[in-house]
Amino acid sequence: MGTVSLRGVHKAYGSTTIVEHLDLDFPDGTFTVLVGPSGCGKSTTLRMIAGLEPVTSGTITINEADVTPLEPKDRNVAMVFQNYALYPHLSVAENIAFPLRATKTPKAEARKRAQEIAESLGLGQLTSRKPKELSGGQQQRVAIGRAIIREPAVFLFDEPLSNLDAKLRVETRSELLAIQKRLGVTSIYVTHDQEEAMTLSDRMVVMRDGKIAQVGTPAEVYGKPHSVFVATFVGSPKMNIMPGTLDGTTFHADLGVAWPLAHKDKGAVLVGIRPEDLNVGLDPQGPATITQIELLGPRAVVALEVAGTKLISVIESGPLAALSIGDRVNIAFDPNAAHLFDATTEERR
Amino acid sequence: MRAQGMMRGVRGIFLITALVVVGFPLVWVTLASFKTPAQLNDPSLIMFSPSLTNWAYVVEEGILQAAGRSALVAFITVAISAIAGSAAAYVISSYKAGGTATRFGILAAQVLPPAVLVFPFLTLAYVTQVNDTLIPLIFAHLSFVLPVVTWFLIGFFDSVPRSLEEQARVDGFSRFKAFLLVVLPQVYPGLGAAIIFGFTLSWNDMFYGLILTPTKSAILPVAIAGFNTFRGVELGSMSAAILVAVIPVLIASFFIQKRLVQGISGGAVKY
Repeated sequence: MGTVSLRGVHKAYGSTTIVEHLDLDFPDGTFTVLVGPSGCGKSTTLRMIAGLEPVTSGTITINEADVTPLEPKDRNVAMVFQNYALYPHLSVAENIAFPLRATKTPKAEARKRAQEIAESLGLGQLTSRKPKELSGGQQQRVAIGRAIIREPAVFLFDEPLSNLDAKLRVETRSELLAIQKRLGVTSIYVTHDQEEAMTLSDRMVVMRDGKIAQVGTPAEVYGKPHSVFVATFVGSPKMNIMPGTLDGTTFHADLGVAWPLAHKDKGAVLVGIRPEDLNVGLDPQGPATITQIELLGPRAVVALEVAGTKLISVIESGPLAALSIGDRVNIAFDPNAAHLFDATTEERR
Repeated sequence: MRAQGMMRGVRGIFLITALVVVGFPLVWVTLASFKTPAQLNDPSLIMFSPSLTNWAYVVEEGILQAAGRSALVAFITVAISAIAGSAAAYVISSYKAGGTATRFGILAAQVLPPAVLVFPFLTLAYVTQVNDTLIPLIFAHLSFVLPVVTWFLIGFFDSVPRSLEEQARVDGFSRFKAFLLVVLPQVYPGLGAAIIFGFTLSWNDMFYGLILTPTKSAILPVAIAGFNTFRGVELGSMSAAILVAVIPVLIASFFIQKRLVQGISGGAVKY
């Protein structure tokens, strides 16, 4: 088991900064997901923890031992890559047992353990196959098996599900979570998919431009986003952000609609409303027009236009029956569901 | 469909013509190696009673020893080239060592006429007192076999995902072990082809051999040239000796042909 800590970890290529002085702790046994848009430095952070990328400055410790100058082989970490990186010339059993060759484990024992792991992952019948004879999902499980066999201090996952189709991704996601909970190994997982981050993590680290935008449980990050960036990045469909002014009792949105919103602050603000908190009611005098309805089974995503601005609402199928494209509607929200952000810094108020 | 049929016909005619052009000298040399000097005077003679005189003479003249020396030089040259070349090709491909200039400039020495390089080799051989031995010849052959083997392998390494090496490093191996256990096996077919190709290059070289090993360590092509005597060309014996030189290359070419195209086209191994 392992606790991972990053202290002032910085990575730059010449004058280009990739990761900026990160301070992060990954407590023992937790599943932490690093999430952010492409180029935010999440993969580089993972690769620095693995030892595949040297840090420009700062220290990385695993179980309080400084591993910063150590080679990947000496860090006791296991990693699953996006393309699985299975060894094409080795069979499934040999792939899973490969890390044991480094520890000079006797062959018979290595074979036995590889077989046990293969069976626990539902690969028992496939151990003599080569990776290219397996489906994407099976290859993915071999890669996980190879990570498990080492009994490492830390699991590192670099977007391991992005090569799978949507259905398999959801299935593998829950398998992965079950394996992690069973083994209790500290896991650090990188993804650009916020939904994956929400469902998998004990703790989410949202990154932007090489810096941490917010750390917290998925519920905290979703419920109390620290900035407009986090608010719009986490959650799908993304949060509606409306610029406007507060006068103490009312929010006057720039799009020409006012809603009651009591707040001690006054002046220019950005108000964020999650699509599921934006209520829509049929009203011929209403300010909004329905431009699109996307049915998602029990719910629907309704696109609205208010004075040239697009807003999104998610509504249940019951109220949906009364609505159709082109209808004029009224829009409202519970003041408690509103998120207030500073108009200049875009930070939460 | 008709156009396709015609294309096949044209291709067939082209291949048959090429076969005749390449095959005719070989057939002629094979026949000549079994002819007596009198029979050789009639080049059109196809039906004759074969004689092994030329072959006996060739063996007596030490052609097999010369072939042995050629093989030894080629083996050593290729062994060094395979080890150094695969490591060089990997760092050029994966770590961009030496930049683009190295990647494409590695074959630059090939455009130099061998005459430019042979003099320094000869001088060095004299200075170190290894002239007319196989040692300077091996160095001379390395000057063109090693770059070609390296260049040939770069394309194969290009198609090996970098994550394989990284995975092996995370799995507990050093960079070198990761290269040896994981990366190198992915290019074995290319390495095999490079070895055969490099062997053929060394085996066929005459120029360096003629100058660096002129007499007591003569290699096969030099020994073959020895049949061009002041009395005239001993065609029958020379033909037998030529066959000794050609047969291994023919066999090698058979194994190499597919991979050779692959190497030239940049190693199209897919993962």
